[in-house]
Amino acid sequence: MIQPPAIPEIIQLIPLKSYLILSTALFVIGIIGVLTRRNAIVIFMSVELMLNSVNLLLIAFSSYRSDPTGQVFVFFIMAVAAAEVAVGLAIIVMIYRNTRTIDINFLKKLKG
Amino acid sequence: MSLFLLVLIPLLPLIGFVINGIGFRHIPKGAVGVIGSLAALGSFAASVAVLLAFKEAGSQPQIVSLFDWITVGELSIPFSFQHDQLSLLMLMIITGVGSLIHIYSIGYMKHDEGFGKFFAFLNLFLFFMLLLVMGSNYVIMFIGWEGVGLCSYLLIGFWNKNTSYNNAARKAFIMNRIGDLGFLLGIFTIIATFGSVEYTEVFRQATGLPIGDPVLITITLLLFVGAMGKSAQIPLYTWLPDAMAGPTPVSALIHAATMVTAGIYMVIRSNVLYTLAPETLEVVAIVGAATAIFAASIGLLQNDIKKVLAYSTVSQLGYMFLGLGVMAYSASMFHVITHAFFKALLFLGAGSVIHAMSDEQDIRKMGGLRKKLPITFITFFIATWAISGLPPFSGFFSKDEILAHAFEHNKLLWAVGLVGSAMTSFYMFRLLFLTFFGTFRGTHEQEHHLHESPASMTIPLMVLAVFSALGGVIGIPEALGGSHQLAEFMSPLFDNSRQANPEAFMPISLSHSEEYMLMGVSVLVALLSGIAAYVMYISKASVPAPESETRQGVQRAVYHKYYVDELYDAVFVKPMRTLSNLLASFGEFFIDLFVDGTGRLVKALANLGRQTQTGSTGYYIFAMVVGIMVILFWNLLIK
Amino acid sequence: MYPIVLLSVLGIVVLYLGFLKSKSILLPATLLFLVVAMIGNFFEWNDGELLYFKGMFAVNKLTLTFNAIVLFSAFMIVAMTQGFQDNEEAQPAEYFALMLFSLVGAFMMIGFENLIMLFLGVEILSVAMYVLTGSDKRNLRSNEAALKYFLMGAFATGIMLFGIALLYGASGSFSLNGIESFVTLNQRSPSYLLYAGLLLVLIGMLFKVSAAPFHFWTPDVYDGAPSIFTAFMATIVKTAGFAALFRLLSHSFSGIYDFWWPTLSILTVLTLLVGNIIAVYQDSFKRMLAYSSISHAGYLLIALTSMTKQTENAILFYSMAYSFATICAFGVLIPVAREKSLEGRPNESYEAFNGLAKNNPLLAFVLTVSMLSLAGIPLTAGFWGKFFVFSSAVERELVWMIIVAVLMSAVGIYYYFRVIMAAYMKEGDTATIRIAPFYKIVLIAATLLTILFGLAPGLFEAAM
Repeated sequence: MIQPPAIPEIIQLIPLKSYLILSTALFVIGIIGVLTRRNAIVIFMSVELMLNSVNLLLIAFSSYRSDPTGQVFVFFIMAVAAAEVAVGLAIIVMIYRNTRTIDINFLKKLKG
Repeated sequence: MSLFLLVLIPLLPLIGFVINGIGFRHIPKGAVGVIGSLAALGSFAASVAVLLAFKEAGSQPQIVSLFDWITVGELSIPFSFQHDQLSLLMLMIITGVGSLIHIYSIGYMKHDEGFGKFFAFLNLFLFFMLLLVMGSNYVIMFIGWEGVGLCSYLLIGFWNKNTSYNNAARKAFIMNRIGDLGFLLGIFTIIATFGSVEYTEVFRQATGLPIGDPVLITITLLLFVGAMGKSAQIPLYTWLPDAMAGPTPVSALIHAATMVTAGIYMVIRSNVLYTLAPETLEVVAIVGAATAIFAASIGLLQNDIKKVLAYSTVSQLGYMFLGLGVMAYSASMFHVITHAFFKALLFLGAGSVIHAMSDEQDIRKMGGLRKKLPITFITFFIATWAISGLPPFSGFFSKDEILAHAFEHNKLLWAVGLVGSAMTSFYMFRLLFLTFFGTFRGTHEQEHHLHESPASMTIPLMVLAVFSALGGVIGIPEALGGSHQLAEFMSPLFDNSRQANPEAFMPISLSHSEEYMLMGVSVLVALLSGIAAYVMYISKASVPAPESETRQGVQRAVYHKYYVDELYDAVFVKPMRTLSNLLASFGEFFIDLFVDGTGRLVKALANLGRQTQTGSTGYYIFAMVVGIMVILFWNLLIK
Repeated sequence: MYPIVLLSVLGIVVLYLGFLKSKSILLPATLLFLVVAMIGNFFEWNDGELLYFKGMFAVNKLTLTFNAIVLFSAFMIVAMTQGFQDNEEAQPAEYFALMLFSLVGAFMMIGFENLIMLFLGVEILSVAMYVLTGSDKRNLRSNEAALKYFLMGAFATGIMLFGIALLYGASGSFSLNGIESFVTLNQRSPSYLLYAGLLLVLIGMLFKVSAAPFHFWTPDVYDGAPSIFTAFMATIVKTAGFAALFRLLSHSFSGIYDFWWPTLSILTVLTLLVGNIIAVYQDSFKRMLAYSSISHAGYLLIALTSMTKQTENAILFYSMAYSFATICAFGVLIPVAREKSLEGRPNESYEAFNGLAKNNPLLAFVLTVSMLSLAGIPLTAGFWGKFFVFSSAVERELVWMIIVAVLMSAVGIYYYFRVIMAAYMKEGDTATIRIAPFYKIVLIAATLLTILFGLAPGLFEAAM
């Protein structure tokens, strides 16, 4: 009977480079989202995508090195991102209450 | 005891500043003036005491360390005062002339609402100026240097209801900053080279370097840039005429007698470095000579009484640098001293005139004032005599000594100096004649109001007049049977230089007859110019045309007398006038263009930069992403 | 270490105090807590180098001094809030608690020994600041500032995290020591993962200290946020950010100095130019202070770029001098702007200061000293800050950078002196502004310290 390979080894079936490319691609997609969208919530979602690409990258590195600290870091990122979501949505709601819009192109009072 | 006195010198003005600065709203006007003047006088008394003690103790330079100030890595900068011949001489000028000007200001500024503020600033200025000359290292000098610049800024802009005054103040400050950049870089180079900023340590190490060492040339050139800014040399001089926007006592104290000589003090203080960098000295001499003649020629046709004096100051400072450039350090110092007397006197006299004329500064509207203002007239006359270099007054001795050294060094420099001297004499006598002789040309109201100034203003005038007349005693050259006490007194200052570059320090090799000849020539030239001024402005009583009339009007007035006149006009006046106008409009135009242009450029850039701040979040993030991409590409792919 | 624990707990205590009917206890309580934290901070003064949390957090004299600067600045700013008593809508308990929590973040940035700590510190500080920026809920400007800050801040965090991930991928460690040993081992053979990671982390941090071209948020956010929190941002966030940058670069990456200094030097010059030049065109004093804070980031970056033995001292002294002067400037701005308010909004333009000296000599004096210090005029602390920074750059022979910096400081004179001119020289009538005694004491203390350190900068080093 063939033992299924241990988890790190499964991950290693896919070369590290692929993880790197995938998460970089996700990260860049996130950046493009931030650049092209005008709705504050969608921009924020794109930022979350960037954070998650980082999570993916960290986990890949962590597994390849059999070093758990990378995964611990991921938990911290998740926790902090959750806190950020709470604050960010509160800010967006506050703006929506005052202006009835969350289009960032309408927020140009401060400039110069 | 000595330490206490020494600390007292800068401390008293500081105390005066604090008292007047904090309480200027509550202290009555009379008390403000008394406090301010007492601070200056006390400081003067302390300086005299220190000088006497110094002489008694055998004239040994002394460094009094107060406390360890800063230690950065290997570099440690103590807060200490050095008193030697040079700093003592400067102390005497600053506190002596300073006290007189304080007293004068009591009368002059009496009707000004900012009386308390004025005295506070004046005391603060004294404090920084004293710090500048008393410190024993370049950092303290720099602090004083910046401090006096700040006070000058505040005092130029003192009558600030007028925007152009504010602009003048700002211009002064910015131009000085350009100079300060040089000074600061010089200090940093000194630190990098010698690992110390203490004068004694730096000079001790410098004597070990070869003559013409590139590092020394760099340092001295950088320091000289600083001096150019503070002492208003080409091309950083245009701030000084504009600085006349300040009250007249300020012009006398800061922009004639003390602050503007800080550059000369600095060069004399660093004489070892300069002696070892002959190339820099050439630059200094050329810049000095050029400034001397350039500013003098502009002064020929100015009609604002203070502007004439301002250009004259620039020109006289040029003489001092000329002296430094030909290594006549003590002669330059001599001129600093005599200039402090007669130029302060001229400014204070001008102030007295302006005071009497109800704030009129245009000499075309004056005339015949000698009967109404006899004391002012006599003192002004003495000062004019002195600045023109006519014996036996002080200016003769000091200017002549510089010219003699220049003659020995380079005949061309001497010739330039001589022409400048002729111009000096012309514009000063022109000023004197137009102001005090002839008939009164102002309004009736002004004529009615004319009066001699109060005693608090005339007494300083008289004291300064005595010094302007007799100040030359300290430096009568051997050729005239004197012993030149000043040069002897200052001689220990140059021991290091002499040791480092003995060739350059040969005593004057001119024979007495040659010296007599030089003196004769310069006196003759000055006299002739004075006479020319007399002919033009008294015999023919011509008055410079008002702004509205065209130039031809002036020429018509000048013509029609003698044939000689026409010749004189064609040969001397016209080219001079053209040159003067050309320099005034053209030269200044470019320099002002540069300065204003820089200001305008910054503004334009600011406006441009401001437009990058569009307020749009998307744009901001886009700019950031572009920045990130450029950084990544440059670092990872290109580099 | 003690201040982190103390302030975390005491912050929660402040939140509970908010339930009390009387709000007047909050301010003294918060001030007391800050004093307690300050005392706690000095408990470890003589213990040398300490490590906590399995080597993730370090305490030594440098971090303690940075902590002290941050705590002292916070104390002064909190004292200037006057308990938000004049504002009915304010939630003082929340504000104070958030300030205390954000200080915890600042301490973590100052003493981090592991990138996890850096990330947490940055986020704790930033998230609290997002909230405080938007605390004036009905004011559209405050709203806009909060949203801009939040979106851009979150974006910058993403960039920094990606960098941290790459650093981890390259070196296999988050700890500064681990990265350092990797860097020293691989000094010869460049690792692109490491380089890219370093650059991205640097960019993330440079955003926080508002270096160009990542400065765009600064003017808008500083302008829109309530002044008191702008003061908090301008001083504490900046000090902590530079402490973190210094720690990162001096500790882990000194081995590849040759790689990062060219980039940093270009950004430094850019920051100096942007901050100083755009400040010239401002009509609002508050917005000018925002640009001034960008320009001071530039001066601090000079010290960072040169990275010599003096850098540590230079950054410490400079951030202290800058913090005190900035707090003074805001301390004067707040009452003046309130007194001169237009249509219910505080008037933060230069004109508001016209003729201030006539009836408010103290405020005018404090303002003058702070402007002189920011401009780097001798006998103020700001001069020595610049002096130390420049002399560290001289040691690296970065003369061209000093020339730019000195020229830019000449430009700085223009906009700093404008307000002094307005206060002393321009005509205007400002009634005597009533200031609470404690507020006055804080202003005087900060001013005296500025002068004291200007007269004797050696004192600072002696205190260390």
